[in-house]
Amino acid sequence: MAADHPRTAPEHRDDLVVFEQEWHRRSRQSRLVSLGWIVLASLVLLLSFELSEAGRSSVDAGWTARIASFADQMIPDLQLQNLFGGRGDAGSLASWFYDLPVWLVAMRETIAMAFVGSVIGGIFALLLSFYGARNLNKNRFGVQFVRRSLDLARTIPDVIMALIFAAAFNLGPVAGTLTLIISTVGSLGKLFSESLENAEMRQVDSIAALGGNWFLQIRYGVIPQILPQLLSYWLLRLEINLSAAAALGIVGAGGIGMELQRAISFTQFDTYLAILLLIIGYIVVLDMLSEALRHRLIGRLNPPRKQRSNANGAAAAAGSAPAVAQ
Amino acid sequence: MSDLAHLVSRAELIAPGAVVVPVARRVKAWFGAALFVILFSLAWIDLEITITVLAGGFGKMVDIIATMVPPSSGGQMERLLWAIAQTIAIAILGTILAVLIATPLGFAAARNIVPNAVIHFVIRRFMDIFRGIPVLVWALILVAAVGLGPIPGILAIAFADIPRLAKLLAEAIENAEERQSVSLRATGASALGVLRFGILPQTLPVYLSQCLYYLEQNFRSAAIVGVVGAGGIGFELEERIRIFAFDQVAFIILLYIIAVSLLDFGSQRLRARLT
Repeated sequence: MAADHPRTAPEHRDDLVVFEQEWHRRSRQSRLVSLGWIVLASLVLLLSFELSEAGRSSVDAGWTARIASFADQMIPDLQLQNLFGGRGDAGSLASWFYDLPVWLVAMRETIAMAFVGSVIGGIFALLLSFYGARNLNKNRFGVQFVRRSLDLARTIPDVIMALIFAAAFNLGPVAGTLTLIISTVGSLGKLFSESLENAEMRQVDSIAALGGNWFLQIRYGVIPQILPQLLSYWLLRLEINLSAAAALGIVGAGGIGMELQRAISFTQFDTYLAILLLIIGYIVVLDMLSEALRHRLIGRLNPPRKQRSNANGAAAAAGSAPAVAQ
Repeated sequence: MSDLAHLVSRAELIAPGAVVVPVARRVKAWFGAALFVILFSLAWIDLEITITVLAGGFGKMVDIIATMVPPSSGGQMERLLWAIAQTIAIAILGTILAVLIATPLGFAAARNIVPNAVIHFVIRRFMDIFRGIPVLVWALILVAAVGLGPIPGILAIAFADIPRLAKLLAEAIENAEERQSVSLRATGASALGVLRFGILPQTLPVYLSQCLYYLEQNFRSAAIVGVVGAGGIGFELEERIRIFAFDQVAFIILLYIIAVSLLDFGSQRLRARLT
């Protein structure tokens, strides 16, 4: 014990005893709090386990047998000797990817959905953001109304919106495009209005003093300040939409996802794997392109400077990307 | 007129390119704009968005929205609340499963923990490939593999999150300040000691807060995976959209929004305590 340390001066011993007691008390307390958290977490876990019926699975043949047979169905029987044969040869790559032209057209549709959705959504978001920015719209009620509507558009998951749009616009890419427009307006509208609020108002005031009308104030006073920021938000959203569009088709909203859904409903699991590989390739290429573009843009907008990154900075960066995605 | 020309040439000397935009840059800008418009038109044509399609669709949309008011529980309030609870359970179990698997993977993928370049490269590439697969795509195949119900939902959420969480953890560990580890090593601490007192105190709060953020997001994912048959509120919703019972759909969406707001509020308070 530290209190018995021979070199401790006598007058310091009492302090040390008090310190020890306090330390013990606090460590006991923190242990109790941790115990409470553990008990709470276990209760939540048990309840979740019960609610999700995880114990009562519908798999009766045994998990290993089930997974093995499924993997067997999913992996195509490729044969080495006619791997590069035509579509009719059993075991060739061409017979595995037998519907590739159709899938590529569906892929094009996915990209078109994301592009049109991002452009139109971006335009609407920009128009709305002028009404949602506190410094440009003096009508408090109007600002709140726009902001809350944007919140609503962000809260409803895009898949559920796509389902409803598919009920109105029939299955196909129009439903998906409309869904992407709404979710883009929801997320970009908020980000754009925040950028507008951060814009320096002195330029606007100078133009107003010179007799410039509202359009001129916005065009020459606000837009030049925030254009790089708006563009980078828009590009990020385009990237998100390009990958979200691939999944939307699963609920009937057009694009490559519909081919996935078709493969599953015909229980062609090897075809599913082929389309999945196509989607993975698409997303990897997308990732690389956006990385390259981002590096170019960042390099141009602010010249490279020495940056010391730490754990918090990295977490903030990592946290903000999904936050923007919402 | 020569006065103006003089002024312009002086301005050009002070700020090159501010008044007289070089022809090459103008051509480039117009070329870019034209390309953008052409691409947009091609995409629009590809999607076959015509006035008739839009008019018909919006007409039906008005009908749907008219059916939505007033929202009605259809006398199944109890069942819907139970489905919401199940969705929360799916999100919790999926996130826990993801964290359990992602944590060791994250350590293995951090360069300062496992210096082996081959292991690092393989794990990182695997994570990069799987990171892009949306949760709905996982759910679709898992429902086919495991059958309808909440279990494929749990698995889909876990599979979608494992690579993302592992990558986050690996980056948090790699970005940890090295000075603490160096000091510990200088005092003769073991590798485990360096990890426990040098790296974890910097990494763990950030990682835990990220896990909570994922839990928050996974409630949304759990609602989505239900749509393809993986249990919870999404399943109930999809059933009612299929039979055009939009008053009940509106009710479920309201219920969902309330649940999301409550969960976000709780999770944000918890996260604020962590960091």
